[in-house]
Amino acid sequence: MLPLGYAIRNLFRDPTRLLQAVLGSALVVLMVMVAAAINGGMKDVLSASGSPDNVLLLGAGSEESVLRSEIAERSAGIAETSLAGLSVVAGIRAVSPEVHQMAFLSVSKDDRRQAFVRGVTPRALLVHRETVVQQGRFPESGEIMAGRLAWKRLGFPVDTFTPGARVFFEDIPVNVSGVFAAPGTVMESEIWMPLGDLRSLSLRENLSCVVLRLGEGAFEDVDLFTKQRLDLELSALRESDYFAGLSVFYAPVRGMAWMTALLIATGAVLGGLNTLYAAFAPRIREIAALQAIGFGRGPIMFSFVQESTLACLCGTLLAALVAIWCVDGIAVSFSIGSFVLRVTPQVAVTGLVTGLMLGILGAIPPGLRCLLPPLPSALRSAG
Amino acid sequence: MNDHDDILIRCHELTKHYRRGDRTVTPLQALDLLVSRGEYLALMGPSGSGKTTLLNLVAGIDSPSEGKLEVCGQDLTQLSRGRLARWRAHHVGYIFQLYHLVPVLTAFENVELPLLLDDLSRRERRERVESTLALVGLDDRMHHFPRELSGGQEQRVAIARALVGSPELLVADEPTGDLDREAADAVLGLLRSLSREYGKTIVMVTHDPRAAQAADRILHLEKGRLLEQEGA
Repeated sequence: MLPLGYAIRNLFRDPTRLLQAVLGSALVVLMVMVAAAINGGMKDVLSASGSPDNVLLLGAGSEESVLRSEIAERSAGIAETSLAGLSVVAGIRAVSPEVHQMAFLSVSKDDRRQAFVRGVTPRALLVHRETVVQQGRFPESGEIMAGRLAWKRLGFPVDTFTPGARVFFEDIPVNVSGVFAAPGTVMESEIWMPLGDLRSLSLRENLSCVVLRLGEGAFEDVDLFTKQRLDLELSALRESDYFAGLSVFYAPVRGMAWMTALLIATGAVLGGLNTLYAAFAPRIREIAALQAIGFGRGPIMFSFVQESTLACLCGTLLAALVAIWCVDGIAVSFSIGSFVLRVTPQVAVTGLVTGLMLGILGAIPPGLRCLLPPLPSALRSAG
Repeated sequence: MNDHDDILIRCHELTKHYRRGDRTVTPLQALDLLVSRGEYLALMGPSGSGKTTLLNLVAGIDSPSEGKLEVCGQDLTQLSRGRLARWRAHHVGYIFQLYHLVPVLTAFENVELPLLLDDLSRRERRERVESTLALVGLDDRMHHFPRELSGGQEQRVAIARALVGSPELLVADEPTGDLDREAADAVLGLLRSLSREYGKTIVMVTHDPRAAQAADRILHLEKGRLLEQEGA
């Protein structure tokens, strides 16, 4: 084997090329880490948004989207009285009738943004247990409460939803009563308002869904209820299954993130290969001399891989630092919510593996180009 | 020792062809040659006469197209590229015209390179490198990088690198071609003493009649054929 010192010292033969290799690999690794963080963040927010203890009663045939679902208002009362095994808090059964819809919200007349609005009663807090009112209070008539990432999702200034502020819901002024948190869920990007207000403003007599929180009861009991009460035209779905379905729906979006990263990374990889070839090519004669001494192609290729891997690991370290300082904590919005990019151990490992693969695989094509010429002609080359 | 044991290089009908575009070039044609152990042989001839091709063949750098080639008791035509590399590591020391030292390694580290192919301890390697550098008169330059050495010193490091593994055969391709007269004389003197005092078999390609005069025998090649031979 050639000594590791040979690979290390070769790295510093041309500092400009070393810088190119480090920056190129850093760009690739950073792209992959961002794509992994987007993928993981979107997956996590969708999986965390659905509790396995919650059951959604949706309109039969609308299981894929609560926005399309319509169920009779009486469904909530019938479910509450008919179903045993629901969670009970302070003597109140955890049943939340809700209306979900997209509506325009604005801070001025000419700045309308489409928001995901949930019409709720205070019982919503019994089923969505992760929800905590952080500032202000639960909304009363004429008020709204905003998730803590709603400003980001809607593209408004960060102080838009300060309690006491005024915004316009479909051009009707409403006051902000509070801000709520529901860590790691899409609800943090939603606007909540009293169920009655939303139904009045949207001229809607029915509900989108009823959310039940199971206590000792089983999902099968709720499912059986929907099958027995055919007159209500209901379908029962675990909340976690609903969001798992949404996660599948958003898979192409996550794929786009990977594809974008891949396209940028491909350009950087090709540039990196060129840089490595430019670094190895002037050494063809030296490499031929090593072969003439008796070193086989394997040990020489291993030395190339060491050299390339060291450069790529420096790039990986740089990318990790940039990711921690500049990417970690950035809120990203998508159609139904927002999530925060996190440099999780999984993202860090993805970056590390990418850096290692770049180093190992990136050295092979330029290495082979230097090792394949016949030895007599390589010894006479102008390297 | 019988005659058979006394012969280190045995070439019979040795031929090398290669293709250059549509043409087939034959730099070496049906060459017969025997080189004894401990012999110092100089190969001379005009450019393209086949002397470097012959040197590369006997050093195991290149493979013949036809004929038989036996060096150090090994039929080189039977070895794969990988086995040929291992064979070279143990039997041949190659001295290049332009030294071909690794610029990022010191003189010590350059000389140590062939020993990394053997299972030697760090101490054994250090002792052998130091004694070999002392042999070529560079024990005070062992931690210098090639850029810090003169051409003659670089060539002596290259000779030390070729010698350190104690190969039976030293091949030298124009070893004085890039040196001034004083440095060339020092290198030729060193090669001569390696032949006389250490019994090394040396095959040297040269254009310089003065360099060739140091050899035991001079072979003249032209168009891939052996023209004449003379004792020095």
